[in-house]
Amino acid sequence: MSPASADSLGPPKPAPAWLGWLSLLFFLFTQAYAVLTSPADESMGHLQKILYVHVPSAWVTFGAFGVVLVASLLFLWRGDERSDLLAASSAEVGSMFCGLTLVQGMLWGRPTWGVWWSWDARLTSTLVLFLIFVGYLALRSFVEDPQRRGQWSAAVGILGAINVPIVWMSVRWWRTLHQIQSNPKAVSPIYLRGWILNVIAFTLIAIWLIWRRYEAARFERAAEHAAQAAALGGNNG
Amino acid sequence: MGSGLEHGGIEFVVAAYAITYVVLVAMLARAIGARRRARAEYDSASKGEFRT
Amino acid sequence: MAFRDDVRRIRAIVWKDLTTERRSKAGFNSVASLGVTILVLFGLALGPANDMLQAAAPGALWLAVLFAGVLAFNRSYQVELDGGALEALLLYPGARWAIFAGKLIANLIFVTLMLVIVVAVGIVLFQVTIPPKWPQILLVLMLGVVGIVALGTFYAAMSSRSRAREVLLPLLLYPMLIPVMLAAMEATKAFLSGNALIEAGAFIQMLTLFDVIFLVATFLAFEYVIEV
Repeated sequence: MSPASADSLGPPKPAPAWLGWLSLLFFLFTQAYAVLTSPADESMGHLQKILYVHVPSAWVTFGAFGVVLVASLLFLWRGDERSDLLAASSAEVGSMFCGLTLVQGMLWGRPTWGVWWSWDARLTSTLVLFLIFVGYLALRSFVEDPQRRGQWSAAVGILGAINVPIVWMSVRWWRTLHQIQSNPKAVSPIYLRGWILNVIAFTLIAIWLIWRRYEAARFERAAEHAAQAAALGGNNG
Repeated sequence: MGSGLEHGGIEFVVAAYAITYVVLVAMLARAIGARRRARAEYDSASKGEFRT
Repeated sequence: MAFRDDVRRIRAIVWKDLTTERRSKAGFNSVASLGVTILVLFGLALGPANDMLQAAAPGALWLAVLFAGVLAFNRSYQVELDGGALEALLLYPGARWAIFAGKLIANLIFVTLMLVIVVAVGIVLFQVTIPPKWPQILLVLMLGVVGIVALGTFYAAMSSRSRAREVLLPLLLYPMLIPVMLAAMEATKAFLSGNALIEAGAFIQMLTLFDVIFLVATFLAFEYVIEV
């Protein structure tokens, strides 16, 4: 029952050290640049600075889910266990950034609207996405067999990803039905550069985090394979 | 609803950044730690020691 | 023709699933009673003022169907699991989608029958006046049920065979059903209150779109999930 690539699942290629350092330095730079040099917004005041962590976190969340989608499709198509481990690592990191996005959104919303939660379309959709992440991770934790775990989480991941735009449209439509005007975060384009820079910075950090998490998962699987081989008494070179 | 500063915007900004950085550092530490442990497990397994 | 074999297989599965339920009539009765109980609880939570009840009726109805229906989904795999029949079923050289279709149709019939009871009780408990647009409401009910049953039958194929089946099915299913629930509840609400001439088509379209997307997706994904 072991997947075809079981024998090839040796130790992983390590993330290059320069990537980690580059991401960290770039992150520190863009954060400092954005926070210190951005002017106060006319309506939001300095609250606008939250968006330098909020917007990138949201991007990373959706990007990570995108990786889950692609890796899941690859796994169902090719059966390569590495795709499954990548999906799992991306889901873990993505769910953390999803939670962050939620908290940042609430911290932005409280001074803006006076309430911690307003069933705003974006925030609600992010919460649903968080629940979908949680479901995915819970499923993985309840299934032992790697092949079954891979196929089931791939199916759940793909269906979940399909649902993300549908949930977003439904919640937004639900809001307009009740004639509630959504306050778009209308921000002037002078902030755009800071946003883009920080999105890149967060993305680099996320890539590094996912890569490290993936390496750990690969080592664990490789250890299991090695232990199995040893238990079966094979001569492992 | 007025400018953010009416409701005291600054502490929310600080809180958001603080939480973000704390979580990022925690994720970093966990990623490094998990990899280290898994690596050790792999090394001992491939040497033939049986670790359950 | 292979397709005719599949149709025969589907019919066999539907018949088997339903007759096993009917012979254990307790199965249907208990799920339907649960649906009614949930309605009562909602009534107690939100009542006894009439306007509150009438406003909450669509939401309460759909939630009752959802919570009670979830029980049906795990059970629909229980029969094969207990007898070890699932492996036998998979040995037949047939398309997996036929198994899914059979279970889906059986669950559809089951949940629809339960829906009839829940709606009837709900009308009474929640002081609902039957509006002139009631055929449209029936259409909405059916479209909503199809969405719930499609995803429910699919996820139950996994949860029923896992360790934490009671919590896993709701945990996976409920977030996925949010668009269906929103559309169905709002559509029911709109038709009950007698307005919304224009939005009628939009609701039906949304529900139909959702159903089509997820019927296709679950049919495609089922073989990966049932094989392993």
